[in-house]
Amino acid sequence: MQNSWINPALCIGCGTCVKHCPRDVIRLDENSKKAVVKYPEDCINCQFCQAYCPQKAIKIKPTPKPQIVSWK
Amino acid sequence: MNEKMVTTDVLVIGGGIAGCFAAIKAREKGLNVTLVDMGYAGYTGATRWSLSGFIVYNPEWGIDLQSCIDTISKVGEYINDREWTEIILKESWQVFQELLSWGADFRFEGPGRRPYVEEFLPIPVIRIGEMGVGPACRKHAEDIGVKIFDRIMITDLLKCDDRILGAAGFSLYSGDLYIFKAKATVLATGGFGYGTGSSAALAYKAGAEITCNGFNHTWPGAASYPGGWPAVAARTVFMRFVDGEWKRIDHPPNEELVDLSLVFLIHAGKGPIYWDLDSATSDDIERMKKRIENTYPRFETTFNPAQGGKIPMDGHAVYDSGGAWLINKKCATSLLGLFAAGWSGYASILFRGAYHHAPGDGLTPSAVTGYRAGLGAAEHAFQVDDVTVNNNILKEVKEKIYAPIKRRSGFDPRWTTQIIYNIMTPYFVSLVKHKDRLEAALTHIEFIRDNIVPKLYAKDPHELWLVHEIRSAILNAEISLRASLFRTESRGTHFREDYPRRVDPDWLAWVKLKDDGGRMRLWKEPIPQKWWPDFSIPYEERYPRRFPGE
Repeated sequence: MQNSWINPALCIGCGTCVKHCPRDVIRLDENSKKAVVKYPEDCINCQFCQAYCPQKAIKIKPTPKPQIVSWK
Repeated sequence: MNEKMVTTDVLVIGGGIAGCFAAIKAREKGLNVTLVDMGYAGYTGATRWSLSGFIVYNPEWGIDLQSCIDTISKVGEYINDREWTEIILKESWQVFQELLSWGADFRFEGPGRRPYVEEFLPIPVIRIGEMGVGPACRKHAEDIGVKIFDRIMITDLLKCDDRILGAAGFSLYSGDLYIFKAKATVLATGGFGYGTGSSAALAYKAGAEITCNGFNHTWPGAASYPGGWPAVAARTVFMRFVDGEWKRIDHPPNEELVDLSLVFLIHAGKGPIYWDLDSATSDDIERMKKRIENTYPRFETTFNPAQGGKIPMDGHAVYDSGGAWLINKKCATSLLGLFAAGWSGYASILFRGAYHHAPGDGLTPSAVTGYRAGLGAAEHAFQVDDVTVNNNILKEVKEKIYAPIKRRSGFDPRWTTQIIYNIMTPYFVSLVKHKDRLEAALTHIEFIRDNIVPKLYAKDPHELWLVHEIRSAILNAEISLRASLFRTESRGTHFREDYPRRVDPDWLAWVKLKDDGGRMRLWKEPIPQKWWPDFSIPYEERYPRRFPGE
C-alpha cells in the first residue's frame, strides 16, 4: 500500500514501529521488507512509532476521521 | 485459514505487567507456559503507557504500614480490600527489585542508584523512564522460555463442566484459528473496557462472578495541545488551574480529585478550565522540564513550560468496566482453572478503593496480583491432568469467531465503536450520573448489543479484531451502566446526582455481577464489618470530600 507516513528510502525494515503500534496500523510488507501503513484510519496518534524509529523515517499524519458510514 | 492447536500447562492471556509476572512466576516453577497478546506483548497495552510511577513500600523508609493502609482506606472511602492493600504494599518491594533485575526502565539520581521518590499521600512513587516496564518484562519472559504469541485475539475461554480448559482466538495477521489447551489459565487482559483491554469480558462470558462499582477513572490533560503527551507528563508535577474567569481553583493534592472537581466546575457552567502555567515559579518549570526529559525525550513537542500561558484542558474519562472476582489470595476466580490479575482482576481498586491515589497505583497492584496469579495457576496445573476439549465446543467457537468475515455485508466496526464511545464517554453519563441518563444509555447499548453487534462485518482479520473488541466493549459498557444504576449512592469517583451522599453502612459493599441464563444478575457483597469506618466520627469527617448537591 502506498503511504506518505514512512519514507521508504530511510526505512530499514527493522520492525520497531510495528512492535510499538497498539492498533496494528503498521505492518512489514513481505515483498519490500519495509514498514507500511496499512490501516491509517485506526491510528490513535500515540506517536510511539515515530518516536522510536531508529532511522527517523516516520512522520505520522493522522487526519481527522474520514466520513464513516454505518453499513457498507 | 488454518487451525493451530497449542497445548500448554499454563496459558496467560495478556502481555502487560500482570500477564508477564504471571507467566514468569509459573515458568520459574518449571512449567510449560504460553503467553498470548492481541498486540505485541510488553509494548502495546496499558503497561507501556504507564510512565507515571511505581508505588513502592519499604519499611526501612520509616513509613508505618498500618497508618499507610488507614490513609488509603480513608481516601479510598473504605471500599478497598484491606487484606489486598496490605499484601500489595508488603510485596511491592520484592516485585520492584525483580523488575530492576530484569532491566526495567526506572529513573535514579545520584550515587548508589537512589530512586526519584515523590511522595503522594503516604506512599512513595518511583519514577519510570521512557521505555516503561513492559519491554523488560517481555524480554525476561522470553529469556526464561515463556512462549509468546503476538497479535492473537482471544475471543472465548474454553469451558467444560464449569472448568476452564484454555482459550480460542485468531491471528490478526493470517486469520488462522488458534486453540490453546491449558491446565490453568490466567486472565490479564487489562482494564477500561475498550482501547487497551477487554477487562473481565472473557470471564463474564464464561460465567465467572465479576465485580464492578462505577469507580471511573479520569485523566484530563492537555492532550490536544501540540505535542500533547509531554504536556500531560508535565501537568502531573504542576497542577494549578484557573476557571473560565481565570479565578484560581483550589484542590487537594490528588490527581483524580482534581479531575473530578474540574468536571463538577464545568457542569456548574464555570468552564473552560485552564492549566495555569503563568503561575509557575522557576523551580516549578525545572521540575516540569525534568519530568518531560525522563518520560518523553524522543517526542517532538512544541510544548515548553517556560513559555507560560493558560492552556485549555480537555478531558478523558474511562469507565470502570469491572474485573473478575478473586475468591482467594492466589487470584483464583469462581471458575475452576481460571485465575485473574491486574485490571481484569480488579487489582487497582482492591488496592486503593474508590479513588485513584497516586501515579502508579495501577502498576504495582497489577505486578503483585500477576505474581500471585502465576504461582496460583502453577499450583493448580500441578494438580490436574491433561485437558481434552470437546469437538462440539471448538466447532461452536469457530463459527462465532468467523461469522463476521463470512457475511457479505454488515455494520462497520469503526462506526459502531464510535457510537459506543459517543454513548459512554460524555461526562453526564460517565462522571455526573443520574438514573434517567444511565437508563437512556443502557437502552442504546442494549439496542446495539441486540441489533448491530450480531450483524457486524469484517473484510479481513484486522477488522475481525475490531469486531471482537466490540463484543467485549458492548458487554463492558452494559456491566458499567448496570453497576452504576445498582449502586444507589455516591462514593469516590462514582457520583450519582440523584443519590449525592455515601450511604453507610448499606453501601459499604461491592457490586457483584454474573450471567444468569443470558440475564445480568447483580447483588451486593458486604465489606467485612471490621473494615468499616468509625460511625461515631461525623459524616463530614469520615468523608472530607463533598459531592455537588449533598
